[in-house]
Amino acid sequence: MKLRTMLLCAALMTASLPIAGQSVILNNPGPGGAYVIRNATIYPVTSAPIESGSIVIAGGKIVAVGRTVDTPEGATVIDGTGLSVYPGMIDSGTSIGLTEVGSVAGTRDIQELGDLNPNAVAAVALNPHSNVIPVTRINGITTVLTEPGGGIISGQSALIQLSGWTPPEMVLKSPAGMHINFPRVRTTPLSGQPQDEEGEKRAKKQYTSQLEKLRDTFRDAKAYEKALSASEKINAQHRPEKDLILHALVPVVRGDVPLVIFANLEADIREAMKFSDEVGIRMILSGGQEVQRVLPELRSKNVPVLLGPIWTLPGKEDDPYDLLFSNAAALHQAGIRFAIRTGGAHNARHLPYQAAACAAFGLPKEEALRAVTISPAEIFGVADRIGSLEAGKIANVIVTDGDPLEIRTNLVRLFIGGEDIPLDSYHTLQYDKFSRRP
Amino acid sequence: MSQLRISNCGFIVRRTSVAIVTLISTFQLYAQTAANREILIRNATVMTITNGTIPGGSVLIRGSKIVAVGPDDQVRAGAGAEVIDATGRYLMPGIIDTHSHTAVEGSVNEISLPNTGMVRVHDALTNEDISAYRQLAGGTTTANILHGSANAIGGQNAVVKWKWGRPISEWPIADAPPGIKFALGENPKSANFSPPAGVAKQYPATRMGVAEVVRDSFTKARAYMAEWDTWNASRNKANLIPPRRDLLMEEMAEILRGNVQVHAHCYRSDEIVMLINLADEFGFKIATFQHVLEGYKVAKEIAAHGGLGAGTFIDWWGFKAESYDGIPHNVALMTRNGVLVSVNSDSDELARHLNLDAAKAMKYGGLSEEEALKTATINAARQLGVGHRIGSIEPGKDADLVLWSGHPFSTYSRVETTMIEGEVYFDRNRDLQQREDRKREKEALLTQEREAEEREKARAKSTAGGSKRGMGNER
Amino acid sequence: MLSRCRQLLLIIAAFLLAVPLVAQPPGVYAITGGTVHPVGGADIEGGTVIVRGGLIEAVGRNIPLPPDAVEVDVSGMHVYPGLFDAQTASGLPEPARRASFGDEAGTAPRATPAPEPTATFRAAETTKLTGEMLDSRRKTGVTTILVASNAGIFNGQSAILNLYGDDIPAMVLKSPATQQISFNPRSSWTYPDSLMGVIAHIRQTMLDAAQYDAASRIYSRDPAGKRRPTPDVNLEALAPVLRGELPVVFIADSETMIRRSRTLAEESKLRWILSGGRNTYRMADEIRSWGVPVLLSVNFPKPPANADERTEEPLRVIRERVLSVTAPAELARRNVPFALVSGKAAPADFISGIRKAIDAGLSETAALRAVTLTPAEILGVDRQIGSIARGKIANLVVTDGPIFDRDSKIKHLYIDGREIRLPAETTASPATPASASPIDGAWNLTVRAPDGDVSIQATLRLQGTELTGTYSGSAGSGDIRSGSFNENRLEFDITIQTQAEPSDWSFSGTVENATIRGTVRTNLGQFEFTGSRTP
Repeated sequence: MKLRTMLLCAALMTASLPIAGQSVILNNPGPGGAYVIRNATIYPVTSAPIESGSIVIAGGKIVAVGRTVDTPEGATVIDGTGLSVYPGMIDSGTSIGLTEVGSVAGTRDIQELGDLNPNAVAAVALNPHSNVIPVTRINGITTVLTEPGGGIISGQSALIQLSGWTPPEMVLKSPAGMHINFPRVRTTPLSGQPQDEEGEKRAKKQYTSQLEKLRDTFRDAKAYEKALSASEKINAQHRPEKDLILHALVPVVRGDVPLVIFANLEADIREAMKFSDEVGIRMILSGGQEVQRVLPELRSKNVPVLLGPIWTLPGKEDDPYDLLFSNAAALHQAGIRFAIRTGGAHNARHLPYQAAACAAFGLPKEEALRAVTISPAEIFGVADRIGSLEAGKIANVIVTDGDPLEIRTNLVRLFIGGEDIPLDSYHTLQYDKFSRRP
Repeated sequence: MSQLRISNCGFIVRRTSVAIVTLISTFQLYAQTAANREILIRNATVMTITNGTIPGGSVLIRGSKIVAVGPDDQVRAGAGAEVIDATGRYLMPGIIDTHSHTAVEGSVNEISLPNTGMVRVHDALTNEDISAYRQLAGGTTTANILHGSANAIGGQNAVVKWKWGRPISEWPIADAPPGIKFALGENPKSANFSPPAGVAKQYPATRMGVAEVVRDSFTKARAYMAEWDTWNASRNKANLIPPRRDLLMEEMAEILRGNVQVHAHCYRSDEIVMLINLADEFGFKIATFQHVLEGYKVAKEIAAHGGLGAGTFIDWWGFKAESYDGIPHNVALMTRNGVLVSVNSDSDELARHLNLDAAKAMKYGGLSEEEALKTATINAARQLGVGHRIGSIEPGKDADLVLWSGHPFSTYSRVETTMIEGEVYFDRNRDLQQREDRKREKEALLTQEREAEEREKARAKSTAGGSKRGMGNER
Repeated sequence: MLSRCRQLLLIIAAFLLAVPLVAQPPGVYAITGGTVHPVGGADIEGGTVIVRGGLIEAVGRNIPLPPDAVEVDVSGMHVYPGLFDAQTASGLPEPARRASFGDEAGTAPRATPAPEPTATFRAAETTKLTGEMLDSRRKTGVTTILVASNAGIFNGQSAILNLYGDDIPAMVLKSPATQQISFNPRSSWTYPDSLMGVIAHIRQTMLDAAQYDAASRIYSRDPAGKRRPTPDVNLEALAPVLRGELPVVFIADSETMIRRSRTLAEESKLRWILSGGRNTYRMADEIRSWGVPVLLSVNFPKPPANADERTEEPLRVIRERVLSVTAPAELARRNVPFALVSGKAAPADFISGIRKAIDAGLSETAALRAVTLTPAEILGVDRQIGSIARGKIANLVVTDGPIFDRDSKIKHLYIDGREIRLPAETTASPATPASASPIDGAWNLTVRAPDGDVSIQATLRLQGTELTGTYSGSAGSGDIRSGSFNENRLEFDITIQTQAEPSDWSFSGTVENATIRGTVRTNLGQFEFTGSRTP
């Protein structure tokens, strides 16, 4: 209660300058320590739900999960009667931390100029005090992939915790992927009107030249890496002159960082898979509106999919109305690993509802939950740290009064990295303030 | 279809018209509304909106109207009634979207002038925008189609039902009062876009200027009205040159006379207050404030103005400076201050799940289920002046109904059937079936086209050997 | 009316029609022995048509030959009235491309747009018909065309021209023939820049014209004590339209556009004609009930060349494409008066378009009527042309087979009673030798950027149509990419090092007299550039 009043005062002081006065205090994580949530229904995700179970959080980690657990000394005990406990949710594609106000260029750090920016690193430009962060996490999302966008090679994404005082405190994994905005024929200009013949010709020409550029860059990066390896092993004197762009691609070429390729149309997805084969680097597909046309290929090549946004319109007039809603079920049936992404920032809080939309159109409910918890953790290689309620994992834990994928469910407690996070945001503070307007 | 291959010449026509006829008759099967045809939807959870929710409820439709609503045992249908067993399902009135730009051909913005009140969305409606159908599949049946927000005063609106498959002339709701779009803030002052090189920037560039555009328009309108009053009062009309009929000024005059509903796009609280004061000064009402993301800051002022309230997308924020203070609790706060509120889309996509935006009004700020349901139905209907015919399940109202697989506020629910005036315009099973039909029709047409091309090619070949053709030039 | 501008036109025409026309003075001909298809009457086997002084003097069987007539024996051949293509924009400037809101850089119009026509615009005074243009129409059997601009909203007054004459005024059969309206939005930020705006503009203009007409009448009756109406030639030009004396042609293809046209026509009580009419195949009953004549374009939609794109198109588009060819048959079945017109099709595609309509169920007789008598009736020139009848203008086509048969060839063509000799088919001209390449070599390019000219030296090499080479300058150097050169048009990209970052500049332009002119699209906007050979 006291904290809440303090926060309110802070908000009143800064309210007139909402953008400049980023809510530092708001983003202040609650105190760390030991907690026990008792007598709740525990949904570990990776194992069967536990009725009347308990979970112990200490030192930032999940210490124990089960029907009976030992309570550490001095632990805060939370009565979970009637409540449910889930792992914090993961959004597999956002620009959180890189944008504050969509139309104000000064607050956007998503897209660097030019086509080739493998050396653009999301983790260095994260604003830990963005108001978007609390707005998102109080809907139960504790971890997001924050990705640069645009151009051809957009840059390196980071998997971040939605809590922390500095970017390094937030970063769980960086780079999480090398993001490629796969070239496509842009037959419709911004105005939405179909292009005339000349415009179409130009679009196709641009497409070809972009594909060439992408292939050339990776060819150069391989040569660079080869020279670099040789100089490291054999002759340090012949070390290639450092090239920041090619250097950024070295871990990718060596297979340490996956390609995350954004593509939606069948032809582009196919071309992207071909490209991945050519360069011999494993890929993760992001976007994936037309995945249902390439299921066998995705499966045989073992390409995981970061599907979404789900709440978006089908691209073609004749596409079924539920194309985007039914993609997840199709991937699941085909045995292809996938996770869900909202693709935005301010409304990454829709993540659970977009996952549920997939369940409304054929995806089993528990798979929808997996798609925003353990599946992305597996895809990004951090399943040993997040994505489920298991002893030893980072304590990203949400306590709810129901199914977290339902809108009417409320979050009652939020832990990120074991810290008890207040359920406040710029929005709740504005709400409190104006609820009190005389 | 191959038996229709009667002759090469007539083949194109005959074969295709059969495909079309099949489609039309399937459609008519669903769409025919004999005035006395009865449909009984029984054993549904009926969310009447205005009279509570009836578990195990029935709704009887006759022709295009709802004729009876109540518990199953109290609603009786005639012998010939078609019965829809809705056990386990939820029935609610069609969702009404008070802010749409769907089904407009060409630009939704006449961007050229600060006031383009003479243009009419009605003139540019099209029945070929697939978004209309996709919205039916999300339970939306009615929309307020507005001009864009590029200018302080935009064009005239159209309130339509998504009668997909019907001629566009049947879409508008005939007795919906006329309306017009106003826009305040960043868009009319061209903050986020500018004309191409060589074209001068257009007044206004500040919120001060936006206010002046509105003031200027109505000042001129008063002069225009006075000019006509003089003319109308004059006796010797035959020997007088009549004033010019100016469609823009006519519209402004109609607003001043209170005959046109103003739907004002706005974000910031200051501009909302500005417009209220301006409207008061000129003696008209703002029917609805649209978007109105900071409505919660001046909810009392909006309520006191005495218009028809506010329509908003519930949780979109941060996409521009003036939307930064948008909070999802806006709907609840305004509602609590006595403002009539609807949740709306301004988006072809969002219009597909406005039910969930209504649900968010429970989550953010704690409206009751009943209050939240109203924001997507009856409140919207009242704001558009069509509350007498849609927005709730009541005898006498249009049978615009949506049958859900589960509670419409559940993220796991989906629409099974959507009806407008007793006709089924969306049905999930029918949709699944039509996907196959459409695929077949497409293949047939493409085959037909290829065959025609091949015939043409063959003929060209047969004459190619001869001397040069005198006529035509087949390329 | 014609005499008013005749002098001016004569001067213009002297330039335009400097192409020698191989033609005879109107003489006296007896065309004998062929099957005469008069249109509007029964065919006459072994019939005779007597032509004198540009007119048809007689038509029938067993007509005595006038002693002064040159007999043209067309036994085994077919004689038709000259074809009338009632919707073309022959010889008029192409409409400027419109820049629309949100266009990506570079899609804006390249050149200064030609001024938009208005209601006062007279096609007859502007059209520039070269000999090639005349021949391209005449070699398809067309002897008469309607020309109307397709630029702007009020496209102005059309003219019907007989495709022979010493100058344009001499060719005119009727001007103005129609007023024409197209739903063309103007460039963004110029009212009206939306479809809604275009309709509002048409509506207001019609009101203004009526008001102007009324005001002018009241004023001229008794000017004392009244403010003089400001003269407005555009509104004045619409007076005959509002009085129903001059029909309005609305250019509309889609169902919605057709309906909008009708709404506007009804609102202002206009006598209207629908032109285009692609979607009439699915609204033929309504078209009939409206009683509107149709100038139906045979510029039927074409499928995309790429097979994948073809199947990816929506069913709606495919339906329209495959079924629009049935529109003529559908209208004919309902006795809707319609003409087949080339519209925006190339002149050479007129006959093949008609053949498509026949393939889709239109009878040849109906097709013939739709390019002869019906357009003449719709446009009020049926007392002059459209059929082979005594007293009508002697526009005749003689073919060696039925006129729409693919193998048929034109044997004789008469316009205004003069025999027209069609040019022999020419073979494609041999490719210009590479040595004469107008593009190979070193060039100085100057880009007019907002903060000063940017100078670039380029060396260009042409191989086939592919353009390669190198460039250098203050903004970096390298290879040129994605280059092409076709006829006189060149395009290529280079990468420029500006202050912040490398960016691609796309050049496109034309070469003329050793000068390149064009535009370059950059990350900073679109600029003009010129190029000259490095001395």
